[in-house]
Amino acid sequence: MYRYVLLSALVYGLLLVGLIALQGSFIALAIPFMLFLLYGFWNAPEDLNIQIRRTLSSDRASSDAEVVVTLTVVNNGADIEELLLDDKISPRLTLRSGSPRHLLRLAKNSSCTLKYTVAGSRGFYNFDQIHVTATEPLGLIRREQTIHASQQLIIFPGVKKLKTVAIHPLRTRVYAGTIPGRIGGTGTEFFGVREYQSGDSPRTINWRASARHPGSLFSNEYQQERVADVGVVLDARASANVFHLDQSLFEYSVAAAAGLADAFLAQGNRVGLLVYGSYLGWTMPGYGKIQRERIMRALAGAEVGVSSVFSGLQHLSPHMFPPESQIVLVSSLVNDDLDVLIQLRGRGYQVMVISPDPARFERGLLSDLPKVELAERIIRMERNLLLRRLERAGIQVVGWDVSIPLDQAIGPFLTRPHRSVFRRSS
Amino acid sequence: MTGFVLVASIILSAGSLAWVFFEAGLNDFGRWILAFGVAWLVAQRIGWKWVSSVGLALAVFLSAAGLWFGLTPGWMFSGAIFALVAWDLTDFRERMRFVAADDNARGMERRHLARISLLALGGMVIASITMILRVKFTIEWGALLVVVILIGLGQLVNWLRK
Repeated sequence: MYRYVLLSALVYGLLLVGLIALQGSFIALAIPFMLFLLYGFWNAPEDLNIQIRRTLSSDRASSDAEVVVTLTVVNNGADIEELLLDDKISPRLTLRSGSPRHLLRLAKNSSCTLKYTVAGSRGFYNFDQIHVTATEPLGLIRREQTIHASQQLIIFPGVKKLKTVAIHPLRTRVYAGTIPGRIGGTGTEFFGVREYQSGDSPRTINWRASARHPGSLFSNEYQQERVADVGVVLDARASANVFHLDQSLFEYSVAAAAGLADAFLAQGNRVGLLVYGSYLGWTMPGYGKIQRERIMRALAGAEVGVSSVFSGLQHLSPHMFPPESQIVLVSSLVNDDLDVLIQLRGRGYQVMVISPDPARFERGLLSDLPKVELAERIIRMERNLLLRRLERAGIQVVGWDVSIPLDQAIGPFLTRPHRSVFRRSS
Repeated sequence: MTGFVLVASIILSAGSLAWVFFEAGLNDFGRWILAFGVAWLVAQRIGWKWVSSVGLALAVFLSAAGLWFGLTPGWMFSGAIFALVAWDLTDFRERMRFVAADDNARGMERRHLARISLLALGGMVIASITMILRVKFTIEWGALLVVVILIGLGQLVNWLRK
């Protein structure tokens, strides 16, 4: 409430009582308050004519990196005795230094530069409204205005560098890469023996095979190394991510997806990303740094979603991915996912599952009661059974205890293809 | 500096009012006023800003009551004016929280304290002169006051409707 309303009410109250009681002392008592009010009205701020420009030191940052926000305020109107600037920032951002609220005195045709530093976790942050309030020296009368200065800050998920992620899809693309292509040619790994053809280097002649067949020469063939299509699927279903006390595994899954996508792209592969939550967020496959940027943007905006339509993985259609390519699913998995993954495998996809361990994660949130321990054992048995079934279907499963950093926990196990790693315990 | 003046204003306001009520033999009133002064100080410490508005309204009410009972007007004016200063400084302190560290906060404080001191002093002087002059309350004065009050109330209602 404007402060002058209280003072006015007191003044009029005193005047009214003085009039009714016919006592001048009440009116005399009202005089200091009237003086206050008069001073306030006399110095009331004029219409605001302010320009504000906001600049960010970087509009893209990594998680917890500091971003300096600079506000340049120019007063094109009359002197302002007190100007309160309130830059509305997302409550998810942490203020590292300075303040988004400033009280300052701004003379006519003068300017002022203010700075504050924020940091935040993964996500999109919109800076838009700056609320300005000009008051006269007693703070009785205000003029308020909201100035729009749109700006967006994208905070990407932290990427843990994974050295190599070995995959072996049935089909590769034509460009040279690091993935064994199941095609003979030049390379380093032995692939097979064929009849000598003119132009073959004498170094490739397999003398032992040639000796067994007089009159013929045979050459060694080496496995070509190509790039491949990789689809990274990030499971954003609430049922697979949110556990006791609304604690979520999702940030770990996002970190894993970011690390894997980065590693695959660094190896030259064509990588696409599917965020499977309340909707299907599909980033079309592509190569290189631009695709990395696209995927990181998609991961920055990824959120856990609840949807009855996408409660199961049955909408993970094979048509979304190139035939016989590599699919990497980052999910803590629920029991109903088994059939869908086996179907994908049956259609010729190489499927790898990176599975943050939900049992261990949720156990850390609960107390040491016997019934909790029993529940953990049952859940662990169910999970082990699920993972074993996946493994039997030819799906590579890598379990991840999220208390250990991604690169240390699963990095070493990803360097060789088809090596499932998950802890089996009773 | 503002904090000191604020606390002193609350003490002086409650003290002035309590003193007059004690002098008049209204000891219970005096004790309640002192208790309210302590409560105001505690609320200030806790950070309940709204208490200052209640304090101001109550101080004005008690001053008016004192005048009605014919108690010494000087102490009544003093109680109301120091309450006004305390009310103003509470809001000023709140605004000063947002002054940037490199701004001249001390200068702003000094200017504000000088400004309200002059206003309070001016108000006290004019009120005292009014009490000394004792102009006869005629029907013309009454009519003028009615017009002023009606205009003011009209503006107030207009603002509230907005």
